Amino acid sequence: MRSKLLSVLAGAALAWNALAAQAAAQTKEITFWSHWAAEMPKRTFVEKVIADFEAKNPDIKIKATWYEKTALYAALKTALRAGQAPDVFYAEPDQVEYMDSGFLLDLSELNWAAVEPWAKEAWMYKGKPYGLPLEAWTVELYYNKKMLDELGVKLPDNLQLSPDAFLDMVKKAKAKGITPMSLGAGDRPFTGAHLVHEALLKKLGVEDYSKLLAGKLAWTDPRVVETLTWIRSLTDAGLLPATFTTMKLAEAHIYFHTNPGALTFLNGSWYTSRAFNPVDKGGQPEDFQLGIMQFPSVPGAVCNECRTIAVGGSYVANAETEHKAEVIKFLNSFLSPEVGNEWLENVKVQTGIKSDPSKMNDKQASEYFAMIAKTNAGAKYHFGLPIQVMTGKPKEVFTQVFNNAFPAGNISVEDAVKQMDAAN
Amino acid sequence: MPAFRAKELKGDVRQPWGTIVAFLLPALTFYVALTAYPAIRTLWNSFHRVLPRREEFVGIANYSELIKDEIFWKAVSNTVTWACISPVIEVTVALLLALALYAKVPGARFFRVAWFTPVLMSYIVVGILWMWIYNYDWGPLNTLLRAIGLGALAQPWLGSPDTALGALILVTSWMWVGFNMVVLLAALHSLPKDVIEAAELDNCGWSAKLVFVIIPLIRATLLNLVVLSFIGKMKIFDLVWITTKGNPLWSTETVSTYVYKRAFEWTTFDLGYPSTIATVWFVIVLATVLLLTWLFRTREKLEY
Repeated sequence: MRSKLLSVLAGAALAWNALAAQAAAQTKEITFWSHWAAEMPKRTFVEKVIADFEAKNPDIKIKATWYEKTALYAALKTALRAGQAPDVFYAEPDQVEYMDSGFLLDLSELNWAAVEPWAKEAWMYKGKPYGLPLEAWTVELYYNKKMLDELGVKLPDNLQLSPDAFLDMVKKAKAKGITPMSLGAGDRPFTGAHLVHEALLKKLGVEDYSKLLAGKLAWTDPRVVETLTWIRSLTDAGLLPATFTTMKLAEAHIYFHTNPGALTFLNGSWYTSRAFNPVDKGGQPEDFQLGIMQFPSVPGAVCNECRTIAVGGSYVANAETEHKAEVIKFLNSFLSPEVGNEWLENVKVQTGIKSDPSKMNDKQASEYFAMIAKTNAGAKYHFGLPIQVMTGKPKEVFTQVFNNAFPAGNISVEDAVKQMDAAN
Repeated sequence: MPAFRAKELKGDVRQPWGTIVAFLLPALTFYVALTAYPAIRTLWNSFHRVLPRREEFVGIANYSELIKDEIFWKAVSNTVTWACISPVIEVTVALLLALALYAKVPGARFFRVAWFTPVLMSYIVVGILWMWIYNYDWGPLNTLLRAIGLGALAQPWLGSPDTALGALILVTSWMWVGFNMVVLLAALHSLPKDVIEAAELDNCGWSAKLVFVIIPLIRATLLNLVVLSFIGKMKIFDLVWITTKGNPLWSTETVSTYVYKRAFEWTTFDLGYPSTIATVWFVIVLATVLLLTWLFRTREKLEY
């Protein structure tokens, strides 16, 4: 009797193991590494997409690991070399080395009809798309409405001050002991350069500006020199904080909206991801009156409506994934207007996914996107920041010179353009 | 012992190879895997373009490029400046502090702990702390300058190419003075009392005693500290990475930060060129240390 019972138990165990093994074989696991460990709105959004996907596809499990960007990039460089990279991971379009080295899966099979064409363009490499452009952003000039009113500055209908009016505003703010523009280059290779690249883009227009970044137009071009000289006149008038070179991005936000308070802040439209947090988590004060104006017109500019639009956080797939069909299915689960709207409403940053801001329920988000829509009305875009277009030495020199030293007044216009031409 | 007996014994002694191997193998394995192989591999890489899944032999192309690389030479200049100035400051100040403690100044026990504390902190903490101290708007340094009527001297210390390197050299000196002080204090306490007393009996003043008796007696310790500090500064990375990342205008770029940037931040997977920098720098550091050791060698042993 006892031996019979043991036999039955052993049989049951074997059957259970076999069933479990079969189930495990049927469930496919997709490994997923992402930035935004600490950026909760974005992380929560992605986690919801994953949960919805898993609910609809019980045979696929997404194993997500969250990082901060620097740690993620370091881990990926090692993992990709060792052939141990995850199936899907976070990347940005300037990481051309991934495509150069053949690490990324061609994503031509994605549902591209649900993606804005300009966002797809940012991920095109040798005629094929390689990334799902989730996050997109424009460079915006935020301002403190209350402060601007107190200075008696009136914005024109198109929200764009003339060069003289802008300089006058800077001088008025300085006279009252207010820093005219919060900007910091302490921990990012691009934030300090917004001032230079937005002015150069307007002055040259999209075509010549692209040539400049590609090294096909000399930095000693009189138009470039003239524009840099104009920027120098603004910085000499005290446009930026004295701590500009070491001020970190998070500090620049606080400097603008809380302490000591600056009149304007030139930043990516992802301003919201920090500033719309609760006050105790670094958000702007609840009664803060946020406005967005246009970057001022540039003397002699051919395209004052030109502005930069950049694709940021995106997801790409490992070329060596063993689950290509599942990966495509997973990435496609991001691509619908509903998911696009969820991103807008929760993250409050633009997206490359086609969406409809008019259908949002969140008041703060809809007001914010209404302001963004107004400043972007009739805009002509250049896609990508200079450091997303440049590589190697020109990128390094641009970062050192125009992200940091030039706005800080540590290098003359002549030396700055000479350094850039030498690097090209 | 008779000769035949010694021979007989020698013949009986067998080398315990099993034990020797058992003791050496773990350490040797770690040494080969974590030091020797990476070093040889770095040298190998320096003659190649090292991309994922493929390597291309490029001969001395990386070395030719390095010679023309202005950023590399700027980094070399900064690193050498740092490595030459910092040991002098550290060891000089440490000697003065050690002498003060040796002379049992009031509160010596407190000062010994206080002066040693910075070395217990990581470069990360020290970097953040000094970024606050150097802050233009509210940093204690500029606040002090403004308070004593020297507001015109207040400036973004880490943000100006003229002051950034000096400001960082000061930080490492502040950090390592305590370590040097403790080592020198130990050396002072081990000085032979009769020699010091003999000097005092000869009416030798404090400064003469320091220059002609104490310093010669602790010369070896002083020189070792200089060499240790020199090597440390030739490899400096953490503090720069935390505070300035080599900015502004490469004024604080060091060879280590430049190697890291070329390896991991220059939108390329190529490890060949960074390996070339690392190889050249290894040779320079090794040669300099050998030169310093040769220059500082003691020809005659002091006897007392």
